[in-house]
Amino acid sequence: MTSIMVVDDDQDLAEMLGIVLNGVGMEVDLVSRGDEAVEIFRNSQPDLVLLDIMLPGTDGIEVCREIRKHSTRVPIVMLTAKSDTHDIVKGLEAGADDYMVKPFKPSELVARIRTRLRRAGGDINGNLTIGDLAIDIVEHTVSRGGKEIPLTRLEFDLLVALAKEPGRVFTREALLGEVWGYRHSTDTRLVNVHIQRLRAKIEHDAENPTIVLTVRGVGYKAGGSGARP
Amino acid sequence: MQRLFSFFRRSLFLKVFSLAAFLSIILIYFVGSNVYGRISDGIVEEKISSSISQGRAAIQYAEYRFTIAGLNRNVDYTVIADEVVKSANISAEESGREVALFNAAGKKVAGIPSVSTSNFLKPEAIPSALREKIVASEELDWLPGNLEYVNGKVIPGIFIGKIIEIPRAGKYEMYVAYDFAAQQSNIDLIGRSLWGTGFLLIALILLTASIVLRLVIKPVQVAAEVAESLTAGDLQRRMAVKGEDEIARLGLAFNQMATTLANQISKLENLSRVQQRFVSDVSHELRTPLTTIRMASDVIHSARASFDPTIARSAELLLSQIEKFELLLQDLLEVSRFDAEAAVLSLDRVDIATLVRRCAEDFALLAEEKGTSLRLHGFELEILVDADPRRIERVIRNLITNAVDHSESRPVDINIAENESAVSIGIRDYGVGIAKQYWSRVFDRFWRADPSRSRIRGGTGLGLSIAKEDAVLHGGDIRVWGELGVGANFVLTIPKRVGVPISSIPLSEIPTTAE
Repeated sequence: MTSIMVVDDDQDLAEMLGIVLNGVGMEVDLVSRGDEAVEIFRNSQPDLVLLDIMLPGTDGIEVCREIRKHSTRVPIVMLTAKSDTHDIVKGLEAGADDYMVKPFKPSELVARIRTRLRRAGGDINGNLTIGDLAIDIVEHTVSRGGKEIPLTRLEFDLLVALAKEPGRVFTREALLGEVWGYRHSTDTRLVNVHIQRLRAKIEHDAENPTIVLTVRGVGYKAGGSGARP
Repeated sequence: MQRLFSFFRRSLFLKVFSLAAFLSIILIYFVGSNVYGRISDGIVEEKISSSISQGRAAIQYAEYRFTIAGLNRNVDYTVIADEVVKSANISAEESGREVALFNAAGKKVAGIPSVSTSNFLKPEAIPSALREKIVASEELDWLPGNLEYVNGKVIPGIFIGKIIEIPRAGKYEMYVAYDFAAQQSNIDLIGRSLWGTGFLLIALILLTASIVLRLVIKPVQVAAEVAESLTAGDLQRRMAVKGEDEIARLGLAFNQMATTLANQISKLENLSRVQQRFVSDVSHELRTPLTTIRMASDVIHSARASFDPTIARSAELLLSQIEKFELLLQDLLEVSRFDAEAAVLSLDRVDIATLVRRCAEDFALLAEEKGTSLRLHGFELEILVDADPRRIERVIRNLITNAVDHSESRPVDINIAENESAVSIGIRDYGVGIAKQYWSRVFDRFWRADPSRSRIRGGTGLGLSIAKEDAVLHGGDIRVWGELGVGANFVLTIPKRVGVPISSIPLSEIPTTAE
């Protein structure tokens, strides 16, 4: 059974989230304080974290950063009462994979959680290469010269999406659909921030990327598979 | 020339300096020429009067000698005449005096030549006007004229003449001439020193003017520079204040003004921060309970099949009203963000043609339900613009919703056009229309054309107002045209590149078919 950790200081909302998620067969752990969240996370090892930004004790962005220190894998979805660019970008930069602005539709939340839990590249047999990186779909790992590079699940998904169709130029909207499961969204901040985070981990020089290339005015594409040092 | 003129116009220093130069040159010219005139006139007059009295004495003396000599019956005047002419000659070395003697009858009498002059003075040099006068009146007279010599030398001077009576020889015209050479050289010297003094004075005046100007203008320049950087937003800039003079007072007053200004601005900034803070707090405080309500109502709603019909209907109303409330809250927050000027563009290079086309596709179903259709025109090419896609999409969705709502089941045309600086999207319906007097009011918050039709649709009444703000935030605008019963046309225009102003609007809001 999928276990979800909900970190929110509003008891009623947390309980309501519990009711909704239980209704679709997910198990819920409720945490109301930021400073307790990391400890509980380490003990319970949930499959996904729903994290409110405004929290008593440690704030959500800090909690997000702490959780990322312990686990690069676990998907984190922020719940925010603000749609201001500033807060959202800060959360994404701290390691969150996606965000939902309150108030949200419960069905949308469930869909979003399911997308994040889905395993990327399930439709591919064998392994992929992009640049000088080897992607192991089964093991869910990325390595360069035999040395594994730790990526979050979302970063892995993003890389796989690009590597699956080398040469194809993905618009930001296409990536939002492919990786985040948005049928219709133009919030390109999600893509921009994650591409940047991904580049910081996989590129030799994040300022002059060779693996994930920007196509000005359109979007991104995978760099030629001919590995460049 | 043009550049020189504009430089002149912009430089206070140059203006004041050249004014001072102009005025001092005029002043010194007039004073100088006045002084020069008076002095030279005085010198000449003095010389004339002394010449007349000397001349008179010389003539009297000559007359006296001729008379004495005449007492001797057998006199030969040759020596005396020679002496009279030459004696004049001796002193003439010093005083510049010449003597001429003419026989009035024009013949040589008793040893006196009919014409004799000293120092090769040309006899014709004696002005004929003077000679005629003397011959007529036989009295002493004088006239200024030029002393012309045989060797061609010409010196200005004065001629004094009289008829003298020589015993047994008859009447002779005698002329004594004095040249003004010494006076002229004095006058020239004075003239030269006046010129020199004038130049020196002008130079001194200009030097003083430029020193004073520098003293005064420097602080003004500094003040202007500081004022410019204040205008540019550097509120910390102040003038350096030295001493206690007027310039220092200007500096103090200026600095006080800057401080007051900075305080006012920081107060306003503070107010705006408080406002933004309030909005964000309200947002958080309202949204969290609303999320809970929303989820609860969703759970209730999904279980409504098992309820009693009235409760089931209540669950439906509850959910739809919560949805409306959500939209309203969202729009209100957006509006407050604009008011607090907290709205910022999150720019990306996007293909706006695709963006609009996709919005239209999303609305195809809704349009069909309303019995209308969306017709796209001019969407073949991609048009890349720097824009906040979230906001542009919101504007387009809003305009399409609006057009579909008021279309009266007639089709809606969506046009796109571009030029080098801007792109326009026009959304044209052929439905209810808007009377001209309301064109500008459609963007007012909560404004409704017809209060009776008010809440048939779910719109919050803020949509067009937000759309307009979004367009303006991009440096663009939304223009509207409409006519009752004919339809309406809303045209969104945004610049292609941020900060590059729109040179012309690619698509007019006034349809070509209208009027």
